[in-house]
Amino acid sequence: MVKFTADELRRIMDYKHNIRNMSVIAHVDHGKSTLTDSLVAAAGIIAQEVAGDVRMTDTRADEAERGITIKSTGISLYYEMSDDSLKRYTGERNGNEYLINLIDSPGHVDFSSEVTAALRITDGALVVVDCVEGVCVQTETVLRQALGERIRPVLTVNKMDRCFLELQVDGEEAYQTFQRVIENANVIMATYEDPLLGDVQVYPEKGTVAFSAGLHGWAFTLTNFARMYASKFGVDESKMMERLWGENYFDPATKKWTSKNTGSPSCKRGFVQFCYEPIKQIITTCMNDQKDKLWPMLQKLGVTMKSDEKDLMGKALMKRVMQTWLPASTALLEMMIFHLPSPSKAQKYRVENLYEGPLDDQYATAIRNCDPEGPLMLYVSKMIPASDKGRFFAFGRVFSGKVSTGLKVRIMGPNYVPGEKKDLYVKSVQRTVIWMGKRQETVEDVPCGNTVAMVGLDQFITKNATLTNEKEVDAHPIRAMKFSVSPVVRVAVQCKVASDLPKLVEGLKRLAKSDPMVVCSIEESGEHIIAGAGELHLEICLKDLQDDFMGGAEIVKSDPVVSFRETVLEKSCRTVMSKSPNKHNRLYMEARPLEEGLAEAIDDGRIGPRDDPKARSKILSEEFGWDKDLAKKIWCFGPETTGPNMVVDMCKGVQYLNEIKDSVVAGFQWASKEGALAEENMRGICFEVCDVVLHADAIHRGGGQVIPTARRVIYASQLTAKPRLLEPVYLVEIQAPEQALGGIYSVLNQKRGHVFEEMQRPGTPLYNIKAYLPVIESFGFSSTLRAATSGQAFPQCVFDHWDMMSSDPLEPGSQAAQLVTDIRKRKGLKEQMTPLSEFEDKL
Amino acid sequence: MDLESFYEIDRTAEFILSRNFARVALQFPDDLLKDSTKVVRALRTKLASLRASSGEENRGDHDVGLFVMADITFGSCCVDEVGASHINADCVIHYGHTCLTPTSTLPAFFVFGKAPINVSTCVNNLLHTASTAGQPVMVLFGLEYAYAMLDVRKAVLEALLSYESQAELEIQFSDVVCSVLDPSGKSGDSCGITELVGVSHANDAVGVQSITRHSTGGLVWNVPQGRKVEEYSMFWIGSENAAFANLVLTFNGCEIVRYDATEDRLVTDLSQQRKILKRRYFLVEKAKDANIVGILVGTLGVAGYLHMIHQMKELVTGAGKKAYILAMGRPNPAKLANFPECDVFIYVSCAQTALLDSKEFLAPVITPFEAMIAFKSGSQWTGEYVMEFRDLIKLSPEEVRKPSEEARFSFLQGGYVEDQNLDGILAPLGLDEEDYEGDLALARAAEKALSLRDRCPNSVVKGMAKSGAEFLAARTYHGLDMDSYSSSPEPFIVGRTGKASGYEDEKSREKD
Repeated sequence: MVKFTADELRRIMDYKHNIRNMSVIAHVDHGKSTLTDSLVAAAGIIAQEVAGDVRMTDTRADEAERGITIKSTGISLYYEMSDDSLKRYTGERNGNEYLINLIDSPGHVDFSSEVTAALRITDGALVVVDCVEGVCVQTETVLRQALGERIRPVLTVNKMDRCFLELQVDGEEAYQTFQRVIENANVIMATYEDPLLGDVQVYPEKGTVAFSAGLHGWAFTLTNFARMYASKFGVDESKMMERLWGENYFDPATKKWTSKNTGSPSCKRGFVQFCYEPIKQIITTCMNDQKDKLWPMLQKLGVTMKSDEKDLMGKALMKRVMQTWLPASTALLEMMIFHLPSPSKAQKYRVENLYEGPLDDQYATAIRNCDPEGPLMLYVSKMIPASDKGRFFAFGRVFSGKVSTGLKVRIMGPNYVPGEKKDLYVKSVQRTVIWMGKRQETVEDVPCGNTVAMVGLDQFITKNATLTNEKEVDAHPIRAMKFSVSPVVRVAVQCKVASDLPKLVEGLKRLAKSDPMVVCSIEESGEHIIAGAGELHLEICLKDLQDDFMGGAEIVKSDPVVSFRETVLEKSCRTVMSKSPNKHNRLYMEARPLEEGLAEAIDDGRIGPRDDPKARSKILSEEFGWDKDLAKKIWCFGPETTGPNMVVDMCKGVQYLNEIKDSVVAGFQWASKEGALAEENMRGICFEVCDVVLHADAIHRGGGQVIPTARRVIYASQLTAKPRLLEPVYLVEIQAPEQALGGIYSVLNQKRGHVFEEMQRPGTPLYNIKAYLPVIESFGFSSTLRAATSGQAFPQCVFDHWDMMSSDPLEPGSQAAQLVTDIRKRKGLKEQMTPLSEFEDKL
Repeated sequence: MDLESFYEIDRTAEFILSRNFARVALQFPDDLLKDSTKVVRALRTKLASLRASSGEENRGDHDVGLFVMADITFGSCCVDEVGASHINADCVIHYGHTCLTPTSTLPAFFVFGKAPINVSTCVNNLLHTASTAGQPVMVLFGLEYAYAMLDVRKAVLEALLSYESQAELEIQFSDVVCSVLDPSGKSGDSCGITELVGVSHANDAVGVQSITRHSTGGLVWNVPQGRKVEEYSMFWIGSENAAFANLVLTFNGCEIVRYDATEDRLVTDLSQQRKILKRRYFLVEKAKDANIVGILVGTLGVAGYLHMIHQMKELVTGAGKKAYILAMGRPNPAKLANFPECDVFIYVSCAQTALLDSKEFLAPVITPFEAMIAFKSGSQWTGEYVMEFRDLIKLSPEEVRKPSEEARFSFLQGGYVEDQNLDGILAPLGLDEEDYEGDLALARAAEKALSLRDRCPNSVVKGMAKSGAEFLAARTYHGLDMDSYSSSPEPFIVGRTGKASGYEDEKSREKD
């Protein structure tokens, strides 16, 4: 631990070249937090005053209990590089002191929004991969996310101790395993070719890959060994490093390097000969307590042990020796300092990803140059609950300028549109705060390139926002974060005691703020709904809500529910007609399913209401086979004007049609939000206006007549086009040994899941299974699976797509009909669906 | 039951004569309209005979004018004072179900009608409820059962006496306010509402001490001090009508059971009613997001309606929203959809018509009380629910509105939203007037400069536009298109004749 006062820490914050903002990302259970802890133990900055009661990372009780990270935590590390090691560093620097702002993020997919938030405010990422399990689903997901944000990665192959103690593999086999891990990671990274970011792949021989044992607190990069051997072989370090990886073999008998295995028994790969074997030897010696052999070896390596440490035995001795010889902090921190970019370097290319406005205005320039004198550009990525209940720190990163206590800032929310007043506030920052270990220290100001927490803005920021100086009215906001998971699982909550309702309302507000992914809303029936990414996520949210945000007031939650979508299977069997209340206007419509992929294209924003009609008709005609003219006749999208349904005008020569367009659109927005089956949103339906008969007198074809009629005719056409329910489906990835496969398959079968890919991980006994699982069946899936495989299988579920349920909801007794009834009951609607005859009129 | 007693002809005639009314309006709801002629005939005969007997010959052949009013503009439970004033009536005789809301200009006499009831089962059910409730029981009833309440009371008292072992049973009865209402606005005070203390009977159980008075739907009862309404179980005799819905909403903290007189059974499952309250809560949350509010005038008779409309208007504009006042009789989906720009409607009407299930409406319709919760900053939904105007007016002291510090959280959008403030553009930014003078003047000016507006017809979607004008401007159709190319005058064309439902030239088309 490094003891600092706030002023000392503040001083280093000005050296923008000596700052590294980085996040630790990995698959769940690959040892991020353990590794982070060993870094913090060595280099974590804590306040001078509290040096007595040292606590490592401040974990929540539930995190410790479950053994997983839930919230990302930020820690500042301080490291002073020796001149010797900085010899080869060519980048800009101010002195040898380095400040590393490290964010440890959760690995479980339900909390990947935390990862997104962490990535936004960092420039580099330490990717942790379990050397046995290899690159897993979540590794891949977060790695892609990181590269999408232009975060430069370095890799550490973790849990090396398993190789030596558990698997006891020999050198060559271990090398192959490591090589495969690195290759797998590189395959993903290679797909992100980015001229500005350069080559993002990692190479052990370049020092961008570390080998670590987080649990035992040791790690090395090839640099460590190269430095050790360079003098011995009389070559320079970089040459030596190359020899220590890849197809380079050394035969101690001949003392010659070859690029092929000569076949002689003493000829071994460089890595095995000079890195793996020595470590293995030390570890075995320690484990066998052969101290007489150990001390001379250590002396040769230049490792001196304290006398009391010499009394340790077995594993403890091994740990201590390894930590002294190859301390994890030195290897990892040096790797980060060397190979991860400083803010000033990273912002040069990240500005394109970050800034929404023109890239040549003063704000873009200031971000690009990481200019502390420029206008303030600060992105608030998350809200952190403060110790006094109900308040939040706005946590974010300063990209340019300085944020100071008392500064008046313009808060641009995610819905802010430059030049408009929407989602815009001007408020003063009450205090700027930096974290020193567990403790928050108020500082006068924080310059660009650093992370900061601010007090006094929490009432105006929901989840994230861009801050700038008060007078910078032409600044554009920093691009909002894109989350890779979506909240599909919902529970209704209510308080046990009715008079606690205000508490619940307040608690929900705070919950919505504290978690970027959770959505707190209200149903038509008046129930409060919490929506989250998965079962675990919801569980944590509910716990937070009750304990932290409502002061322990009891809440009652419903069983998890999922939202469905309503769609149609084929074109309406006939053109349906509805008459207006005054019977003088008639609308004729048909419904048909949208072409495959079109709904997704609308979701992704490739097609939308704001498109240039020409560009839109080009996509529609080329990709989806639409008629060019027809593509121009799209009236609107819905629900909420952007949803994946549309109204298309197919009429010919109808008088006054333009007059009722707005009314039809209003009716469509209404109807597409609440479909005819169970008042769920519609999805993937195209409504074609076939004909319209209108009263000659304008007063009799006003909104009052047309809007309700449009809604009815839309319902009628939906009901005549074989309506179906769409259910959300998870993509499940499970990694398990062969003997667990049987259990996995039986659980999946029982839960209506189906496996579409099963692959053995090369070089491991592990299988990778990909399956689709309906979200509604996923409740309790993890625990059932664990039970069926005696804890060997751990699933990761991510929402993947909407799947049509084949049964007909209009046929009484079918599964879909039952579902519709249940939903209607829950929503407090009439249990019986409104029949078609209510919507369709006869001439 | 014969006509005479059902329509209380004797009592009505006495009332008319005693007050010397010359022109009397008889207001019938639709379902009783079929009897109107018979009632008039009977009443006329009765009046004539009464006058003959009392020997008031000296007034000459001057007869009482009886007028039947039907198809009431607003809810049939209220006294249609406007309709009555068309015929210069001196008073209104109201038949059928009523909400007994105070009138503003005319005296009214109410004939509740008499619905059949099985007194003995009703009493048995009541006693059963009382013995299981463990709480004092308050008996409330639909006004059509008011005539039978005397019998019920008697039966209950007898039963209680024979019940001696369990003397703990406590049953209270509520009373009908009165069957005659005099306009309360005579003194001309701004509020127009005075407590209706005229006819009240002492309750069975309580002596004279300080009491709290409760009323709903024309019933009153007293709760002795030191006791809350929540401590009572409510026993409702009657059908599941608007009056009952109001009761459930207003006293949502109480245990309520219903005795259905027509089916002669006890109904204890009221989950459907409880759901109404939650639904109303949702509507309040929804209303908070509204930018344009329509105030629907749903009554021209209920005392204090004008005051309430003004109060609503102030409330809405005070919350930085735009208010439009609309008078349209009974609202229906088609009528309200003619105002698609309104995000929410406030329905100012008597308590029993105010609760509209607006599921079929394009925009929700809420009551003034809900509007107060939604639009007054700092007010919260506590579960308390108020229906009647006079309680509402009491509820709204002229508190100083402190500008809310926090942005509002919208549960519909799941995030913080900023409320528009129409009276000052500066206000939402929290700026002072001085900033205009200072160094920010240029920046401010630049901010207001012309910018390219998104032409996307987004404002047509509810909740985007801030005023009716803005909404209309965003529509794709702006009215008749002027043909700019041909400026030469067109020859005139003979227009259509006939009614809108079928013009003369359309007649043939309608037939096929």
